[in-house]
Amino acid sequence: MQITVKLFATFREGRFSVEGREYPEGTRIAVILSELNIPEQQIGMIMVNARHAEPDQELHDGDTLAIFPLVGGG
Amino acid sequence: MLTEEQIERYSRHIILKEVGGKGQKKLFDGKVLIIGAGGLGSPIALYLAAAGVGTIGIADADVVDLSNLQRQIAHHTKDIGVPKVESAREKMVAMNPDVTVKTYQEWISASNIAQIVADYDFVIDGTDNFAAKFLINDACVLAGKPYSHGGILQFDGQTMTIKPGESPCYRCLFPAPPPKDAIPSCSQAGVIGVLPGVLGTIQATEAIKFLLGKGDLLTGRLLTYSALRMKFREVPVKKSPKCPVCGENPTITELVDELDALNVCDLEKA
Repeated sequence: MQITVKLFATFREGRFSVEGREYPEGTRIAVILSELNIPEQQIGMIMVNARHAEPDQELHDGDTLAIFPLVGGG
Repeated sequence: MLTEEQIERYSRHIILKEVGGKGQKKLFDGKVLIIGAGGLGSPIALYLAAAGVGTIGIADADVVDLSNLQRQIAHHTKDIGVPKVESAREKMVAMNPDVTVKTYQEWISASNIAQIVADYDFVIDGTDNFAAKFLINDACVLAGKPYSHGGILQFDGQTMTIKPGESPCYRCLFPAPPPKDAIPSCSQAGVIGVLPGVLGTIQATEAIKFLLGKGDLLTGRLLTYSALRMKFREVPVKKSPKCPVCGENPTITELVDELDALNVCDLEKA
């Protein structure tokens, strides 16, 4: 299945900004985080198709996954 | 009624068809609360004062530190050691004596925020820690008060406007604060000085548009900014039915402090 993965802020460093990527049907978000070497404790927000998601959520063909680090300064 | 001097002062506003004399009066009658008088709070405070927002509240318990001055433009070198809210008020009133500035030299908490927020039309989050960001969200959602979320770190920033009940809130996309040992601080991670200027002026713009009742607010979309790549990106966001504060079965029905989420940018003083 095709997943659009969007990375934000520091997560783009050494990775990418937006990519269409192929995964087996039903792949969970945690698998992608692990593949991209993004530690879960650095994650601020995960969104699938504009809605909040948790790492154990399964993805489906055509989903857009957006991953944000913690941005909490002021 | 505007005096002749005020008509001159706000003339570049008044000639805008979206503002006019009526809009300028709305700004005068408007009450905006800024929580945090640091990087984000500085440009917000100065632009709202310049715009003639009649009542501006500013809350921060901190005093000005030398390491703040690279980005917190409401504070000058002479202000080191002075409470940030006093330093900010001095600049705001010097810029525009028309405005009333109410200062709250205290940390906001579950015990005081509802009372403070109640006096204002619009709230701006310019705080530097997740405990405050979640508390502001909960207080504004429970009170039905529109507010602007803002966050910065290193070269990146994000902002979103929340209209409780109508648009997704901060907890819709971020249900609970991160554990404190996971949170990078500005003192550890750094922040480029102009970054809060970019984000803060967007937040101030939202407050002014809200008071004027003009344009489209930044609701239902998270705006992200990368200074290094000089790119803005907009991410659509939907209300979460499972949101703990504005979802279908909310679990947060009264305010509590998120004690686990430490200050982000002020660890040098902790």
